[in-house]
Amino acid sequence: MISQKVAQQSLRRLAVQQPYAMRWSLMNAASPAAIAIGRNIQTRYATSSTQTTDPTKLLAEQRLRRPVAPHLSIYRPQITWYGSAAHRLTGIMLSGPLYLFATAYLAAPLLGWHLESASLAAAFGALPVIAKVGIKGFFALPFTYHCLNGLRHLTWDTGRAITNKQVIQTGWTVVGLSTAAALFLALL
Amino acid sequence: MASLMRQSCLSALRTPLATRNVAGISQVVAFHASTRKLILPPEPQTIQGTMNDPAPIPTPHPSHGSYHWTFERLVCVGLIPLTVAPFAAGTLNPVMDAVLCSLLVLHSHVGFQASIIDYFPTRRVPKTASFMNWLLRGFTLTTAVGLYEFETNDVGVTEAIKRIWKA
Amino acid sequence: MASLRTTSRILASSRPLFRPAAFARSYATVESGSQAPAPKVKKFQIYRWNPDTPSEKPKMQTYELDLNKTGPMMLDALIRIKNEVDPTLTFRRSCREGICGSCAMNIDGVNTLACLCRIPTDTAKESRIYPLPHTYVVKDLVPDMTQFYKQYKSIKPYLQRDTKTEDGLENRQSPEERKKLDGLYECILCACCSTSCPSYWWNSEEYLGPAILLQSYRWLADSRDQKTAERKHAIDNSMSVYRCHTILNCTRTCPKGLNPARAIAEIKMMMATH
Repeated sequence: MISQKVAQQSLRRLAVQQPYAMRWSLMNAASPAAIAIGRNIQTRYATSSTQTTDPTKLLAEQRLRRPVAPHLSIYRPQITWYGSAAHRLTGIMLSGPLYLFATAYLAAPLLGWHLESASLAAAFGALPVIAKVGIKGFFALPFTYHCLNGLRHLTWDTGRAITNKQVIQTGWTVVGLSTAAALFLALL
Repeated sequence: MASLMRQSCLSALRTPLATRNVAGISQVVAFHASTRKLILPPEPQTIQGTMNDPAPIPTPHPSHGSYHWTFERLVCVGLIPLTVAPFAAGTLNPVMDAVLCSLLVLHSHVGFQASIIDYFPTRRVPKTASFMNWLLRGFTLTTAVGLYEFETNDVGVTEAIKRIWKA
Repeated sequence: MASLRTTSRILASSRPLFRPAAFARSYATVESGSQAPAPKVKKFQIYRWNPDTPSEKPKMQTYELDLNKTGPMMLDALIRIKNEVDPTLTFRRSCREGICGSCAMNIDGVNTLACLCRIPTDTAKESRIYPLPHTYVVKDLVPDMTQFYKQYKSIKPYLQRDTKTEDGLENRQSPEERKKLDGLYECILCACCSTSCPSYWWNSEEYLGPAILLQSYRWLADSRDQKTAERKHAIDNSMSVYRCHTILNCTRTCPKGLNPARAIAEIKMMMATH
């Protein structure tokens, strides 16, 4: 109580002796009444007034410097996206040779190549067994995988078998089945 | 002042291990994962319009959208019996063989096309995209003609594969 | 007396400033009992990048925490690192219960919410934490979501009707019609699925991505919406929907257990049957 009284008295003395100083000191502090009836205007001073850059461009410039978070290299290998990548890759491994062969067959008369089925079969038959099995396997595995996985894709497009559990189960089933079928075809 | 006190208080609570980390032992390893970039190296980030504008949607084009998709699925479904039949019947008659060939060409074309759209998008690499597309069209054409020649002059695709496989 | 009241008000309002620092709590710390068990120290490798030094390459920083003194979730670990080890570590978090979607990040290779992801108790293996894959990094684990939100806006995620109902009251729907929205409306737009999708990685400028397509389907499937045809037509191009190649990373990673892949399949079927 005493300290409050002292403070009041010193304020009064200040008001009497130096009214300008008193007003100055009170000017920056909003009176409770002013706050209550909304007359108070808050002022905030910018900490730095030396703005040299256009503030609207600041964000755009920052954006240009941002790195891209790592993706392919850090995402966990899962049957979902590895299976999908394999599907595209096997498709290219099948369609690529088809395109190359058909185009080469078209150009064969001009280049003097012999790409008739009879001569190809003869050339293939002359290869050692290990090469035969290897080449057959090289085409058989993409073929079986792409066909069986294609069935999965068509099933999903009808909205069926698209839950996590089913996707994982059918995914590994296709991997197993296509490997077995490719082995069978390669050894035919 | 208060924040200073808070800081010192916190450091008093810290486990010895945590303090050791602060002291500078926290290991920093160089980051290697971002150096490797095979397809579509990301561009610096730019945002079109303000934060509150919707992202622009490409103009509707059903022949590149829903019709394209439906057509592709029909081709796929059509390929199923034609793939199973040679294994069941031993070989295909010339008409079925020709149908199989044309569906295979269509399916391959759409497959390659999807890869080009994915990895060479027009908005990023317009020249490469159009070059790849024309290359694909040319190859698809030569493939189609080549397969037609093969069908008419040779024994047919399924029979040829069978003979080579049994050779 | 009036002046006295003013003084006391000033005193009261200034009190929090001088609150003893002992009250400052560290939220994610579990106080151990009198007999301390053997410490279970686990290493956390966290992606760091500071926009103030943009020329420096992003790096992985290793932190070690005693799991006995840390809460069970990844978010607890992150908060504890920020509170007690390294206050410069930056990440978003808000609700800590999987409803705000702020703390979406890539933890041990899969996208998930840090607050719903338990810390693997295997202390031999370190945990690796990255921002959402193929996003532009604002700082550390904070990705820029501007494009994602702009894409959300582009599908007009609100009810569109030309006519009022007959009685002028609510837009009613049957329980069966309402049931179609189950599994769609629960999406919190955390972007875990979109940023797990390789197609979205390569073509996020035009492909809408699983999260936005799930929301698109949420409005296509709503019986009360009258602009279904317009909505379908608007996204009928090669990029918006058809960059989806049913890779299914989205459904695999959704921390809320939703199925964006099925929603996209439904959209494709809707678009195929005009």
